[in-house]
Parts: sequence; C-alpha cells; structure tokens
Amino acid sequence: MATLAMDPCASCAQHRAQSLVRLGLSPDKWDYLIALAGNPNTGKSTVFNALTGLRQHTGNWPGKTVVRAEGAFEHAGEHVKIVDLPGTYSLQAGSADEEVARDFVLFGRPDVTVVVVDATRLERNLNLVLQVLEITDRVVIFLNLMDEAKRHGIAIDVKKLESRLGVPVVPGVARQGSGIDELLDAAHDVATGARVTDPFRSDSYASSVEQAIADLVPLVERTFPDVPNARWVALRLLNADEAVQEAVRSGELGQLAHDDSDALVEPPPEFERHALLDASVRLRWDLPPDFHDLVTEHAFTVAEDIARSVQMEGLKKVGFTFDRKLDDLLTSRVFGFPLMLLILAVVFWITIEGANVPSSMLASLLIDTAHPWLKGVAASLSVPWWLDGFMLDGVYLATAWVIAVMLPPMAIFFPLFTLLEDFGYLPRVAFNLDSLFRRAGAHGKQALTMAMGFGCNAAGVVATRVIDSPRERLIAIITNNFSLCNGRWPTQILIATIFIGALAPSQLGGVVSAAAVVGIALLGIVAMFVSSWLLSRTVLRGEATSFSLELPPYRPPRILQTLYTSVIDRTLIVLWRAVLFAMPAGAVIWLISNITFGGTSVAEFAVDWLNPFGLLLGLNGVILLAYVVAIPANEIVIPTVLMLTVLTAGLAGGEGAGVMFELDSLGATEQVLRAGGWTLLTAVNLMLFSLLHNPCSTTIYTIYKETGSAKWTTVATLLPVAMGITVCFLVTQVWRLFAV
Amino acid sequence: MDLRLGDIPLRQTVELTHIDLPAEEMEPLLERGVLPGCRICPVRSSPSGDPIVSVDGSLLALRRETAACLCVRLLTALQDAS
Repeated sequence: MATLAMDPCASCAQHRAQSLVRLGLSPDKWDYLIALAGNPNTGKSTVFNALTGLRQHTGNWPGKTVVRAEGAFEHAGEHVKIVDLPGTYSLQAGSADEEVARDFVLFGRPDVTVVVVDATRLERNLNLVLQVLEITDRVVIFLNLMDEAKRHGIAIDVKKLESRLGVPVVPGVARQGSGIDELLDAAHDVATGARVTDPFRSDSYASSVEQAIADLVPLVERTFPDVPNARWVALRLLNADEAVQEAVRSGELGQLAHDDSDALVEPPPEFERHALLDASVRLRWDLPPDFHDLVTEHAFTVAEDIARSVQMEGLKKVGFTFDRKLDDLLTSRVFGFPLMLLILAVVFWITIEGANVPSSMLASLLIDTAHPWLKGVAASLSVPWWLDGFMLDGVYLATAWVIAVMLPPMAIFFPLFTLLEDFGYLPRVAFNLDSLFRRAGAHGKQALTMAMGFGCNAAGVVATRVIDSPRERLIAIITNNFSLCNGRWPTQILIATIFIGALAPSQLGGVVSAAAVVGIALLGIVAMFVSSWLLSRTVLRGEATSFSLELPPYRPPRILQTLYTSVIDRTLIVLWRAVLFAMPAGAVIWLISNITFGGTSVAEFAVDWLNPFGLLLGLNGVILLAYVVAIPANEIVIPTVLMLTVLTAGLAGGEGAGVMFELDSLGATEQVLRAGGWTLLTAVNLMLFSLLHNPCSTTIYTIYKETGSAKWTTVATLLPVAMGITVCFLVTQVWRLFAV
Repeated sequence: MDLRLGDIPLRQTVELTHIDLPAEEMEPLLERGVLPGCRICPVRSSPSGDPIVSVDGSLLALRRETAACLCVRLLTALQDAS
C-alpha cells in the first residue's frame, strides 16, 4: 500500500527551496490543485516527495505508484494540493492504473497538470504528453533525469520543445532537487492563468477521418457547449472509448468545463446526449477499418517528429557500458538464478545475524525490566488482579513481544530490500522469473508483486494493480500469500535456529538456519507457481497475455534517504499495524486462559479438542489454537505458543496463566518447547504451516477491497490453508514411515 | 523475406517494419517505443531464452512469442555504418 507519513525532519539532505513550505498531508483548503502525471519510472514520486516532503515510497521499477497519493505544500503564500497519479504510458484506460490517471485528469478538475518526462526517452514520453495536451490547456512539462540524459549523450533544446508543445517546459533533476523551484513558478503561472498556453494538437488525419470528426464536433459543442476540447471528445467517441461514452451518457462531461467552481452543472437533456452517442456510432461505420491503428500510429509519428526535432544525440556517452555489463551478469543464462538466490540468502543472513542482539536488548528492556516495574506500580495502586492481568499481562506483553521480535529484523530487512529496489534490481528479477510465470499461465509482473509480498502481503495485493489482465491479476492476488511476509520470518528464523541450526556445528549454525529460511521462502515461490498453474488450468482458465517490461537503467541507490524512508515508511507503519492487531489478540489470549469451567480454562479445553487433529498434521493443539488466535497478526504465533505450552504442559516457570513471555535464551525456549512434546518434525511442520496458511486479517480485507468479490476472497483465504494441511499431513505420514 | 525479430542474432540492429499482433496487444509495445520504422536490437537473452531488446535508448524485456510477431528488415551496410 502506498503509505504516507509526516516528515518530521525538515533539515534532511534534500534540496529545499526557501519559498517552499511543506505541509505534509493535504489540508482541507487549497488555492490550486496540481495533478502529477507521467510514464512509469520517470521519477514522478521523487518530484512529489521533493514538493511535499512526504515520503511516498519510491522505487526503481515501473508501476510503483498504483494508488493515488495526495499531499500539500505552500508556495509563494498559496496552499497547493498535489495529487500523484499512477505512472502510465497512455490515457487509453487499458488497465486499472491508467483509468485512475485518466479519470483524474478528466474529472478531477486539476488547475494544472504537471507531466513528468524522462529526458532520456523523450519520444515515448511525448505520447502521453500529447494525450494530456488533447484534454487540457493547463499543462507544464517537467523534463526530469537531465543528468542521465547527459550521461547517455542526449542533449535537448528545451526552448524549441517548449515552442513546439506550446506549454512551459522545465528541465531538472528531481533526485537532486534541481529545477523544482522553476517548476513551481511555471505551475503557479499556468494554474492562476498568469501564463496562457497554446497547446500542440495534432489535426491532420486521413480525409475520411477528418470528415467524421468535422461532422461530430458541432454535435459535441451543441450538447456540451463549454467543453474545452470538443475535437478530442469527438475523436474518443469515434474510437468507442467506453469512459468517454459513459461520461456523455451520464452528462458528467459537462462538469469538465467548470473547473473553477464546485457548483454542479445541469447536464444537457437526455435525448441530446443519446443523439450524440447515436451519431458517433453511425459515423463510425464510415471510418476506414484500420481507423484505430491509424489514430494510434499518427500520434506516435507526431511524437517521433517532435522528439527528433529537439534532440541532439551523438554526444559522448558515459557509464552506459556498466549497465550492460551488470545486466550480462544479473540476467545471464548461467548466473541469473544463482545470483538471485545468493542475493536473497545474503539479505536473510544479514537480517538473521544482525537482529539477534538488538532483539534480546529490546526484550530485556520491555519485558524483563519494564513489565515487572509496571506490575509493581499496579500493585502499589492496588489495581484489581483481573484489570492488571488483562492490561499488563495480556495487552502490554503481547505488544512488547511483537516490538521486540519484529522491530530489529524489519529495521534491517526493509532498508536492504529498498536499496535493491532503488538500484533497479527488481525488474531484473521479474524478467528472470517471467518464463516460469508464463508457463504457470500467469503474468511476469507477478514477480514484482511477489517481491512486495515479501515485505507485506497486503502491500503485494495492492501492487497487483500493475497487471492489466483481470484474470492474471486475480491469480496474482490469490497467490500473493505464498510470499513469506515479514510477520512470519521471526517465527521461521527462531524455529530454524533452535531446531535446524542446532543440528549443524555451532560455527555453521547461522548459515544453516539462513539456508533453511531461504528454503522455506523458495518453497513458497514453488507453491505460488503450482497454485497459479492450477488456477489457470481450472477456475481461471486462459493463456498468458503478451508481456513487455521495461528494464530501467541502474541508478546508484541513495543510501541515507533509503534508510530514512524505509524506517519511517515501511518499518514503523508495519510495526504500528502489528501492534494494533497484537493488543486485542493479547487480550483474547489472557481471557481464554483465565476464564475457567470446573478448574479447566477455555484455552485448555480448546487445546485438548484440537490436539488429535494437530498430531495428525505433525503439529499439536497448542499450535493450531495459536494460529486461530493469531489470525489478526502472524507475529504473535510464537509468544502464544510458548504461553499456551507452559499452561497446558503444567510447567513451572512462565509468569502465570495467560501471560505471554519471552525467555531469556534460545536454550530456555527450546526447553519449554521440548517439554511441550516438540520434535524436529514439529519444528519442520510449523515452518511449513507458517508458510502455508490463511492470510492475516489485514490482507484478507485488502483482497476483498481489491477484488470486490466474497467468492475470490474465500478462495484466497482457504486455498493456502488447504495446501498447508495437505503438505503437513503428507510430511508427517512419510516422516513416520521412515523414522520408525 | 518474412524476417522476424526472433530470428535475429544478438547485437544486430534491424529496422522494425510491421507488428503482427492484434491492436490491444500492439499498443503496449507502441507505448514503450516499439514503433514501425524504429531501430531495434536484441542485446541479450534471458535464462529461459526470452529476448531483451534495445529500442529508443532503453531496454525492454519481451517474450519469445512476442518477438516472433515483430517483422523486421535488415539494414544495409551503408545504413548500418551511419
């Protein structure tokens, strides 16, 4: 999910203009509204961040902004609201993100639309620019990545481009903050009408097309007298553009002309609107059969012509061969896959090794020190035992546990992952994996959403909006849960360290544990392929659609900013969510352990009842109950398991019924688990089940919002559980067959 | 005569003449700069044999099936040199 956070750090390294005051999240009132459009991967989000100070997460791969982000800033004494649209190549509304972008430019009534253009790929970017110019007069072009253009030996005649397009063109480098001031001045002038533009509009199609347009334009003008560009509307109607047809049908198109007032405009009479639609259908019959292609090709020819006329190539090229050399390695037949695994393993290893010390420090602070102290305070205030137990032993300890276990690995993993992302490695992963996804009947970009899922499945599900085919998008949504998410590593890492790392000599323990966790993550990828394949052979039958993915140039990662962004943007927000969900879960655990019937607690009843089923799967009743309780947050599975084990195994130690606790050493944790009847088999099955079970409640809710379908949400929820039960059952049966 | 991009050896630049795909599959390619008349050059192939092509200054990953639908023309030695 595109997450927004306030920027508390006004003194950050980014260039900051004197006149620019960042206001963070949008205020209620603004003097003018800027829409930020552009092709994917042109640095739109970077421009957005430079303006607002918000840390819209930026990444070096196409289609990062899949939802609209909004922010605000103050410039020259005026409040400005800015909306960052998803990056699109066109406004044809072919996919969910193109639709969002176009609807906003059309109906969001921005006072000025800033199109961010990649100076190294002018021709292709101009296609979108020309489409925006067809819709609105109020446009400013930000010619971004001028530094890369220079490296690639491309020089652009900015003045000439400006005169050809008829709107202001501002060159700059958003990553360094250069050109932002000039951009704001230009946007201000256009938005307030101080600068009147004369946008380029192409006007020479084949004569039969021109005739149809000429016939339709007067009708459009009569029905919607104030529409700014009747020619564009006519052309889109002739193209049978559904969004525009719908805008005519509903009368919404009339709103376009009145972008300065909020007053609703009375739509034209219904019969006129229908007459317009009928006329467009009739005229379409007279058009040449390849009309659609003609229009598309014409637009591209114009873009090409403009780009050629303002571009001077052939300057000295620098730094280009490095990209190619690196790609030779990272996407090579021989080294592509091994390097991918190696990079993944190194990231996990650094996370595992690095998280140990801070984790135990946090645990000793929050649990060993703060908890007894709080208990002491509560006792001195004579708080009733049940309130003290509910709040401190239930809610507080669950929260403390989640923070101690999750914060260190997240604070290490997210920055590492973000560095890879910033560098441009993720599209290479998608490219390497595409053939596998295609064979599974899925979309290559599913690899990107899978990678997002390694951070958070809910984020991965939202990221599937970059996939335009609805069938393939649904597959990506349903199978995203097989990406081992951040809430589940601590479990994997802990169990792998105790039960699997311990099998190896002590100096190799860390490496073996890391390898086991990578193995589980890989198994998740395999499960994703298998289930994608099954889905596309059964309920979501279909062939993989064509695929083309732009591989962006490698960009040196901005280390400090990445650290800052990933800590604020991802780590703290994911942690906060986990805490919100852990608190009630802690309360539930305390309650079920302390509400008793005839001396037996609800938890013990449930564990006894689940135990036979658990044993059949090589797990036990405690683990199954822990997974039921932990639906809101996977992070608390291990603390819950420990607490319930102590409760049901009647061990001394622990803190009392329903009290989650952390043990001071791995050894003590191991002792509790072994006393609870744990074996290597239990550990292996727990790792498998942790990978293959239902998504957490946040993800389930996100899936429902994205699909709008209870049916597919149910499938996405139950499919992994069914797989988990099957796999654990089979492993257990085979294990017992050979172990005895 | 009917030469396809899929048949072109690595690092040989050719000119795209025609895209043999339905409009809705063609458009994403056009938007990414794969236009009839453009220079296109396969620069690498993926672990599974899909091509990466260089077009309009950037790298684009295609599928083999897509590359087989792109009709191309060899550039003459003279054009090649320029």
